[in-house]
Parts: sequence; C-alpha cells; structure tokens
Amino acid sequence: MTVDLRPLAPEVVVAAAALLALLADVFTRTSRARAVWWLVALVALGWAAGAVWTAGEGAFGVLYARDGLANALQLVGLAVAAGGMLLARDYLARVGLDRGEYYALVLLSTVGAMLMVASQDLLFLFVALETLSVPLYVLAGFARDSHRSQEASLKYFLLGSFASALLLYGVALVYGATGSTGLARLAGAEGSFPLLVGLGLVVVGLGFKAAVVPFHAWAPDVYEGAPVPAVAFMSVLAKVGAVGALVRLLPLTLPHLLPAWQPLLAALSAATMVVGNLAALRQTNLKRMLAYSSVSHAGYLLVGVAAGNGTGVWSAVYYLAAYAAMNLGAFGVLTFLERAGVEADEVEDLRGLADRSPALAAAFAVFMASLTGLPPTAGFVGKFYLFMAALQGGLLWLAVVGVITSVVSVAYYLRAAYAAYLGPGRAGVRLHPGPWAGVGLGVSAAATLLFGVLPGPLTTWAQRVAALLR
Amino acid sequence: MTSWVLSTTVFSPLVGAAVLALLPRRDELLRVVALATSLVPLALSAWLFWQAPRGEPGFWLAERASWVAPLGITYHLGMDGISLPLVVLTAFLFPVALVGTWDAVRTRVKEYLLLLLLLETAVLGTFLALDLVLFYVFWEAVLVPMYFLIGLWGSERRAYAALKFFLFTMAGSVFMLLAIAGLYLATGTSDFTRLVATPLPRAAQGYLFAAFALAFAIKVPIVPLHTWLPDAHTEAPTAGSVILAGLLLKMGTYGLVRFCLGVFPEMARGAAPAFMALGVVGILYGAAVAYTQPDVKRLVAYSSVSHLGFVVLGTFALNPQGLAGALLQMVNHGISTGALFLMVGVLYERAHTRALEAFGGVARVMPTFAALSLFVVFSSAALPGTNGFVGEFLVLLGAFRADPRWAAAAAGGVVLSAVYLLWMVQRVYFGPVRPEVRTFAPLRGHEATALLALVVVVLWIGLYPRPWLARSEAAVQALVHRVTASVEAHGLAGGAR
Amino acid sequence: MIGLSHYLVLSSLLFGLGLYGVLTRRNAVAILMGIELMLNAANVNFVAFTRFVDPTFVRGHVAALIVITLAACEAVVGLALVINAYRHLETVNVDQVDLMKG
Repeated sequence: MTVDLRPLAPEVVVAAAALLALLADVFTRTSRARAVWWLVALVALGWAAGAVWTAGEGAFGVLYARDGLANALQLVGLAVAAGGMLLARDYLARVGLDRGEYYALVLLSTVGAMLMVASQDLLFLFVALETLSVPLYVLAGFARDSHRSQEASLKYFLLGSFASALLLYGVALVYGATGSTGLARLAGAEGSFPLLVGLGLVVVGLGFKAAVVPFHAWAPDVYEGAPVPAVAFMSVLAKVGAVGALVRLLPLTLPHLLPAWQPLLAALSAATMVVGNLAALRQTNLKRMLAYSSVSHAGYLLVGVAAGNGTGVWSAVYYLAAYAAMNLGAFGVLTFLERAGVEADEVEDLRGLADRSPALAAAFAVFMASLTGLPPTAGFVGKFYLFMAALQGGLLWLAVVGVITSVVSVAYYLRAAYAAYLGPGRAGVRLHPGPWAGVGLGVSAAATLLFGVLPGPLTTWAQRVAALLR
Repeated sequence: MTSWVLSTTVFSPLVGAAVLALLPRRDELLRVVALATSLVPLALSAWLFWQAPRGEPGFWLAERASWVAPLGITYHLGMDGISLPLVVLTAFLFPVALVGTWDAVRTRVKEYLLLLLLLETAVLGTFLALDLVLFYVFWEAVLVPMYFLIGLWGSERRAYAALKFFLFTMAGSVFMLLAIAGLYLATGTSDFTRLVATPLPRAAQGYLFAAFALAFAIKVPIVPLHTWLPDAHTEAPTAGSVILAGLLLKMGTYGLVRFCLGVFPEMARGAAPAFMALGVVGILYGAAVAYTQPDVKRLVAYSSVSHLGFVVLGTFALNPQGLAGALLQMVNHGISTGALFLMVGVLYERAHTRALEAFGGVARVMPTFAALSLFVVFSSAALPGTNGFVGEFLVLLGAFRADPRWAAAAAGGVVLSAVYLLWMVQRVYFGPVRPEVRTFAPLRGHEATALLALVVVVLWIGLYPRPWLARSEAAVQALVHRVTASVEAHGLAGGAR
Repeated sequence: MIGLSHYLVLSSLLFGLGLYGVLTRRNAVAILMGIELMLNAANVNFVAFTRFVDPTFVRGHVAALIVITLAACEAVVGLALVINAYRHLETVNVDQVDLMKG
C-alpha cells in the first residue's frame, strides 16, 4: 500500500525549515548571516500557508485527515508562527540570543500544532501534543542568563509532562473502552464509565495546555519568566492546538455524548473566565496580567466548545484567529520595552509610551480594546459570535458570565492602555523599536481592526468548518 | 440610487480624524482642520433638515449594504422624524464645543481632537443605525474615546470618574448585546425595520425589553442608576462635558424611544407607569440635589438628571404631545445644558475653581457673558420664550393626559429647577464683586461665538418651534399609534390616552 | 488466571504511585520519575488492552513502544532543563524555586 504524503506536505516543509534553522548556527557566525535562515524559515511558513490554503481534503492513513477544521486552524497556527518570528528577530538580536535554535523551536512546535488539529487518532494526538509542548518548554528557558526564565521552563516542563501523562492514561482507557484509539471508532461509542473517565483525563490534559482553570497555575509564572516573544508565541499556539483538538474531539466526534461533556465544559469555561479575569485585576506585572488574561480567553474559547453546536465550532475558530492577532500584538508591544538591561514588564513601565511613540501607544490601545471585547475590533465580533453560540446552545447563564467578566476585564485592560498615555515615563525605561516587530505589530493591529469592521470574509471562512458537524 | 448622504455625514469626522493623524503637531493647524471637518456633518444635516418631508412617518432616507453576509447582518442607516433632530443636534454641538473651548486644551492636542472626531462619528452612527448589531457597535464605540477624554484631560479625579463611567455604561450595554443576540436567534434578523414587523416570542419579551431598558436607563440616566453621571460630568474637560451631557445622554433617551417603544410596544405600555414614576423621581431628586451642590459643575450635572426626567416622563406618557415634547426636550437639553457647561468652562478658565463660593458679581465684570448666561439659564429653567418652555410644556401636557398626578409632581419640579438655577445665578453673577472676580479676563471671541450660537437656537426654538415639531410629528404619531394600538389589539383596557 | 482486571489494578497502582510522587516529592528529578511511572502505567494499560480486548492488531504494543520512545525524548529534554535550572538556581528543590510569586 503506497502512502500518500502529499497531505502532509505543509508540515514536512515547516519541519524541514526547522532542521535547516538548527543548522544555521553551525554554518553562520554573525547575526546578519543568521537573518538569511530566519528569512528562509519565514518563506517556508508562507509556502506552507499557501499549500494549506490551496489544499483540498486529504488523509494520511487513519491517523491524520486534512479537513476544513484542520486547514483553518493550520492557517491560524502558521500565521501565529510567522508573527512569532517577526516579533522575535529584533528582540533576540538586541539581547544577544539570536540563534537558529529559537526559530527551530518555533517551527517545530508549529508542526506539532498543525498535526494536533488534524489528528484523527488519540495516540497521534498525544504525539502531536508532545511535539507542540516540548519545544515550548525549551523556549520558555531560552534566556540562559535569566534565573526566572530557567525557573519558568522547569515549572512548565514538570507540570506539562504531568498533564501529558494524565492525557495518555486517558487515551489508554479510551482504547480499552472502544478497542481503538481512533476518533472514528469513538464516534459511535456509548458512554461507558471507562470511556468517560478516559475522556475526562484527555480533556484535563488538553485543558492544561490551554491554561484552563483549575489547570492554569503554571501560566503566570511561565509567562512572567519566559522571554516576551516566546510568551507571545506560546500563549496563542498552545490554545490553537488544544482548543482545536477539543473542538474535534467533543462537538465534532461526540455530539451524542453532549449531555455528558457539556456541563463539564461549561463549568470549566465559567470558572476559567471568572478566575482569569479576577486574578488579572490584582496584577501589577504586565506579563502576569496578560497571562491571566490569556487564561480568561481560554475560558471564552471554551464557551464555543461547550455550546456544542455548529455556531460554537466556527465561532471558536473565528476567535482563535482574532485572538492570534490581538494577543501577539499586545505582547509584541512589550518586546520593545527595556528597563535596566532586562525586560520592562510592569504596568508602570508603559508610562510615557504615547509621548515616545504615539503609533505604538495607539496600537496598544487597540489591542487592549480588542481583548476586552469592545467594538469595532475583532475581539468584539468574536465574543459576540461565541455568546450567540452559547445562547443557541441553551447556555444563557454561561453567556451572562461571559459578558459580566468582559466588563470586569475593562478595569485591567483599560488601566494598561491608560498608563501608556500618562507621562512622564518611568525612569530607566527605554524603547527599542525594531523594524520587523513593527511590521508584525502593524499587521496585527490592522487585522484586529479589519476583522472587527469587516467581519464578513473571516466569518465565511470560519463557517466552512461548521459543515463538518454531523 | 442611494446617495450615501447619511454615511458621508456619519463618517466624515472619521475621515477628518485620519487626515488629522497625518498632520504635523501644530496646534492651531490641527484645531482648524478639526473644526472644518466637524462642519461637514453640520452642513449635510442642515441640508437634510431643510429637505425633510413633513408628514412622512417612516424612514424617508435610508442606506443599506451587506455587512456580515453569512449572518445576514446589514449595514443599514436610516433617518426619520425621530432621528433627524438628534442628528442635527449632534452636528451642531460638536463644532460649537470645539469653538467654545478652542484652546482650553494645550497638551496632546492632536489626540484630543482625534478622539472628539471619533466620538462624533460614533454618536452620529448611533442615531442613524437601523441594524441592531450596527447600533451596538456605534453605541459601544462611544465609550473608549469618552474614557480617554475624561481620563487624560479632566480634573483631579479624572481617572476614577472615567473608569466609573465606562464600567457603569458597559455593564448595562452587555446585557443589551445578549438581548440583540437573542433577538437575532429568535427571528433570524437583526434589522430594526424587519423586527418591528415580526412577532416576538411573548415569554422572552420581558427579558429582552428589560435588557434594552437597562442599558438605556443607565445612559439617560434614570435614578437610581445615575451615580456615574456627576463624577463623569464634573471631571471631564469642558468640551467633553458638553458632548457627554448634550449628546451621550440623548443616546439613552433615543434608545428608549426607538427600541424600547419601537420593538417592544406591549412591554413599553406595561412598563409605562413605572417609567413615568421614575421620570418624576428623577426630576425632583435631581433638582433637590442640585440645590445642595457647592461645585457649580456638579450642580449642572444634577440638573441634567432633573431635565432628562422630563424626557422620560414625556416618552412614557405614550401620547403624541408627550413624545413630541420629549423629543424636543432632548434637543433643548442638549442646547441648554451644553451652553451651561460652556459657561462653567468660561468661569473655570478664569478662576481655576468650580466652587460656587469663589464667585460673586461676575455680571459687573463680564456683562456680555452675564447676559448670554442669563438666556441660557432661562432656557434651562423653561421660561416662556425659550426652547425649554416649549418642550416642558408639551411634556407636561402629555403627562397630564396620561396621569395627572405625575404631571402635577413634575410641574413642581419646574419650580424647583428655577430655584436652584436662579440661586446659582444670584450667587455667581450678582451680589458683591469678589476680589478674584475683578481680575477676570473679558469674554473672548470664540467663547462668545459659541454661546451666542446656542442662545440663538434657544430663542429660535422658543419662539418658532414649528419647523422642529413639524418634521418629527408624523414619526411621533406613528410610533404612539403603534404602541397604543398594541393595547387595543390585545384587548387590554386602554382608556382614552 | 491472570485477567484483565489484574493488569488494570497494577496500572492503577503504578499511576497512583506516580501521581503521589509528582504531587508530594520536592526534588525535580523525583517528580520526573513520578511522571515516568504514570506514563508507564498507561503503557501497561495499552498492552493489557491489546491482549484482552483487541488481539487482532498489536495496536497496544505499538502504542507502548511509541510512548516509551517519547518518554525517553521527554526525559532527555527535561533532565537538560533540570540541569540548566540547577546551574542557575543551585537547587532542584521545587519549593525553593520560587523567584516569581505564585
């Protein structure tokens, strides 16, 4: 039986680019020369995106299937990777960490995410999850001289591996209950106790990756310690992979078990939105605040999953795309700030930003408004869709929790945006604008506004995914 | 072929803002460009006002385009007799506010003007949007510019006031968002013109109405949801206060008329007595508290609560006089309270304090200013000959027809408003001239121009309100008929209303 | 006869032991050992299920081999991270690794 590798072409390209990037350090000495490899990696990402865009359906055995959901989320993942690369270049060159390994890690975890969203088999999902996670563990510790970075990577590794082990045990239980690890067999399975326990463990494992409450405790420390461009990248990509997998697993494969998993997902979603937003209120460290904000957004994404209907599925896809733009942007602004030789990561460090760079402060305000869910940004449109899906799925209470927590989130997002306009700047804080990151931020800001003002095309694109619902 | 006049009116300030963003930071240039930009909607809306057909109850001008095609959400703007006066008011107040406070703001002038122009687009869009989702976008889009306007250029407690304003208003509107989503799911459309023709599920109507009403009640504001207003009005920069009081509050009253009465006529009829009561409470409470204020700007803020109580009363009287009076009062309040805030701004520029006790005998030192101020105060107190009288008289007439007791109580409010206003005038403008007041600079050209423009409108509407009333008459009649007809259709005892 | 339930009990015990290790041990390497125990508990499950539930394919055995390989890769990376952390923080006691407030 000949195996057709063509559906996997985009992943292969990205993986090959990752290996090339690893070799970059061997063959190049200066930062300039490495820029070539960085460009090669970007080109590879672009090529892969084009391949995904033009690819139709396809399957690789029973493990992997390229369908609407997979294509949509792979594009988002590739965009996140491109954004992450753009944001990283200037920062890394500035702090002297400009090595090909960084780009290799970014590309490898992107491959993991791409495989995760297209996997049709739970064991394959586990492998893809590891492929996504392990490079992220290393990325968290990339700042070799920073104690906090090493602590972050250690914590991330320990807790992440723990969650993966839980997930694997769940997969084993599902295997025992259905006689197969494939989603196809799962689709018709009845909800026996081992199956439900196994699924629960799988959800826990994926929930950890997405920073869902109560598995979110690693996020603030890891986000605070890891280098800013790495945080920008991992905060979005992990959600793309995990939420994509959850979407495929629950509403798409197990709609007949909805009464079993909907209450759990709804409860997780509500808890995540509440805890994430309340905890963010108390933070004075901007990275920790954005970490809790990230947690809360996992909650909003779960609303779409919990709704269990077609609207929930495509609104989650839409929100992932919107979230990619606004979160990369929010963290991206941080890559420019430096205080006393290290990252400036307090909210107070934003002061005076408007005087030094009005465009940057305005972009930051746009990202904060989008994260809050204010029109006319993509974040608002996404939340509107998600809450509409919740209403359609009979989860009015969840929608109410969602809107109330969105109001609460105003307090900390707007406080940060406001700080950017208060002068004078904090002593010792310096702004290092970089051309590539500037491009990345510009694209993010434009996308955030564009998807908010003209949501039609992106909505149509996301809705194609809903056709998968059985 | 659509002429896209409405869209041009709405978005010309936005275009102006884009142009402004690219200009160099030369304050005078920026101010001139901003003013020129704000005159475009004024010209267009004045032309629309002149062109407006009388006796046309529906949306005689509309523009429609597909917006979010997959969901059938459209970009739909429309103007009728109810939105016309408010659009004209908006287009008029922004240039007046700009002129009146020409160089009061000297820091970050570019951002300040940008935010004002963005605000104008958002406010105009709110009054013209006929698709509920589009309406919501414009409604919320007002919040961020206003937040920054208060927070960056306001007075001592600006950060607190700005955040309070934001949180209060948004807390109400998010439930409206859920109601809009619910309406969309239930009827398959978010378009106002289609919703009014679609029967709504009865069970849900109460919740939906309540959600909309909550959002609008916070904005108006209706007591006891008003606590954000005194702080926001007081701490905002003068132009911000003018816009906030003159226009943003009208978004709430407009919403009550357009959506609460328009989409939920049965619910409106059922809730009318409660709202009329709340209106009267607002009138009396606002006036009483205004009387006790030592800060002149806060006094004016509470007078807003009181005046808008009349609007709520007139709206929920559910008869043509009441509604027409309420609509006219919306315009009147914008003019008179906008002017009051400009007055306070003039005083503050000179005294750098808003405490009533710091003033005395201003009329002796600035006679022109005192004359203009008196006209404004008379308008606010609803003296015959001023616009306030026409509006309040109509409201009281309508309220009397609905329920004489509320009208009587409201009339007491008219007396109270005269009390605190005239007392304020006495303490600030008359009496012995305080030494600080002697040093006041005379009225400057731009301040006089703005105040004069407002006073002219005060007299125009006061002496010849016919053009205004005639243009909204048909729409008002149609709406009242729709609300009260729903009463008879369901066999409820309506009485002669 | 040794049946499926025996294997399941064994794997649950292993899983529980691993869980206990992860939650209570303070040495990072010991936590990693706990995680490895949990992974191998799943492996026991895989093999047992293949033997008793799904004998036609050796899917479970294949799964176990994949997992063993993966666990090894993970351990390599993890131990490298632990060593790196030790160089900087001079401890692998997770209670003492707390520069960032929790």
